[in-house]
Amino acid sequence: MTTPLVLLPGEEVPSDHLPPTKNNNPLKLGPGLRLLSQPSTSAAAGHVLTATQAGLLTTDAKRNTVSLLSFSNRRYLPTTNDLIIAQIHHSSADYFHCMVTPHTAHALLGQLSFEGATKKTRPMLKQGELVYARVLSVGIGAGAEVELTCVNPATGKAEPGGLGPLVGGMVFDVSTGMAARLIRASSASPDQTDAVEGLVVLSELDKKLESVGGFEIAVGRNGKVWVDCSNAGDSAIQATVAIGRCLQQTDEGNLSTSEQKKLVSRILREMKIG
Amino acid sequence: MRTGQPRLGSQNRIAAYFAAVVSDESVRECFAGPAAFPILPNKRVYFARNRGDGEDKEEVEAKVQALGVTATSKYMGEQWLVHVPGTHTRSATHHPQKNCVSNFVTFTTRHQATTTFIMVGPTASLAPLYRADGSSSYTCPATGYELLGAVNAPVELPARRDALKPEEATVEVFVKPGTTTAGVGERYVEGILRSVLATVILGREKGLPRRGVVITLAIVGGEDVERGDSYLTLLPALLHTSLLALLSATVPLSMTFSATLLGVTKSGIIIPDPSAADAKAMASLHALAFSSKGHLLLNESQGRFEFDTWEAVRQKALAICQNTAVSADGDVSMAEGAEGAPLHDFVRETVEDQVHRDYPWKIDAV
Repeated sequence: MTTPLVLLPGEEVPSDHLPPTKNNNPLKLGPGLRLLSQPSTSAAAGHVLTATQAGLLTTDAKRNTVSLLSFSNRRYLPTTNDLIIAQIHHSSADYFHCMVTPHTAHALLGQLSFEGATKKTRPMLKQGELVYARVLSVGIGAGAEVELTCVNPATGKAEPGGLGPLVGGMVFDVSTGMAARLIRASSASPDQTDAVEGLVVLSELDKKLESVGGFEIAVGRNGKVWVDCSNAGDSAIQATVAIGRCLQQTDEGNLSTSEQKKLVSRILREMKIG
Repeated sequence: MRTGQPRLGSQNRIAAYFAAVVSDESVRECFAGPAAFPILPNKRVYFARNRGDGEDKEEVEAKVQALGVTATSKYMGEQWLVHVPGTHTRSATHHPQKNCVSNFVTFTTRHQATTTFIMVGPTASLAPLYRADGSSSYTCPATGYELLGAVNAPVELPARRDALKPEEATVEVFVKPGTTTAGVGERYVEGILRSVLATVILGREKGLPRRGVVITLAIVGGEDVERGDSYLTLLPALLHTSLLALLSATVPLSMTFSATLLGVTKSGIIIPDPSAADAKAMASLHALAFSSKGHLLLNESQGRFEFDTWEAVRQKALAICQNTAVSADGDVSMAEGAEGAPLHDFVRETVEDQVHRDYPWKIDAV
């Protein structure tokens, strides 16, 4: 792997930083990059990738993607296919009106866009309840409505698993960068056991909390993490708070893997669990 | 004024501040005394010593350590460049020129034939505000200005305001003076900022048309621009603050830029970064901004000047903004005789610092 490269808007991505082109898999561009046609006078290839934001260039050779990691504490902007945690604000005849980020217009979630929902049997969500949903569309221009769904319209199943109302548990706020990192770490292949994306906090918690009954977690790209320890019996509340604190402090302090391990054992000791 | 630290206000004040420093002892006082020279993280402060009496690396570092500063040194042509930690390593490789007026202060000790330079560049940090989509704080020691910028984008605008150019984002700029309400001067400078920033913001990117990019710039420190005074002195600082806030908010941009202010005295000497007080005595003032690709983005001048003067000013400004030419088509030639690190590198360093702070797990793993 080459040295980390920080790009500013308008700068070109050097071709030696791109993943090698093979097996006819087209290169996918992540956010912050765009393809520009170069004037034909230059001898180089006809197209260049330029950055439109400032950030750290990252590539994934396996998926053949190249993207620009921007600063981690920015506002979440809904993007199609993102998994988010939304809170019901109110419901109308056809839709639940959900809050995704503060001080923005509500997102719409169809009353029937749940797994197995029909007009007769559908979830009756009340104000304040949480749903784990996928962004279906974001619309264009001013006043565009963000539409969410908890079901894959093609199959009628809750895909990927876990979409739907989140019952019990508690939500913690993290930065959008941390949320994206948690999602990338969880989607990495399971044979990579140590420190995916520099995160060991969840695997440490998993090891330590296995004895009390384990925990369930859902990460929303809008900077929300839902944690549930309902199997933990008497220490459920302490365990939930401990997991939330571990994640938030890892995020705020940008902790290294050894610091994360220390943090987990310190917080669990303070909460007298594990 | 928020801190008790001495302000490096105008040119003359820096000179006055260091005129008293004639020996190693007083340099030490300068760092450790009650009015300690503020070495803050990211503040680019360098010592350079003439090789003079055949000192080698260890000797220089020992001498500097005796001043109470831990630093590493490097031999650069005529001088030892001493790099103070907490400042950026990249800049230490730039060769300092002796003839600089604003960034280096030259003084000679009487006993030894050593010359010491101290260079103070602008400092900035990204995302100091929590609720804004993007923000930056900026301090310019040469003019004494402290600014805070916030960017909110994309935001929904009232329908009539996007009617002018529905295919693009509407850029709105607000300048808030620290002590008074905004007046004619602020309206004027807001107009200039809006036109410069609208050229670099990619307002047709996804999600931006018919929406707004709102930039709010607050002047939190430094001499106030009084009614009737020139607003050009503040313009480069305002431009840098808004650029960094836009970067922090990840607003898509086509390029970055850097800006500088040059004053021409009545005798025709070009002085970079004059303070508001010094600017009153100038025959003409010129604020110029160059994009990272070498385009002239802004050219605001006031006073009486010849075209030849303006051309000299433009070349000097280009050298200050980017003495390392980056243009791929060879439009910009290497400008020699620039002093210190070019301003374009300052933007880059601020961004790199923030990226290193946000992604240590990613960068250290490599």
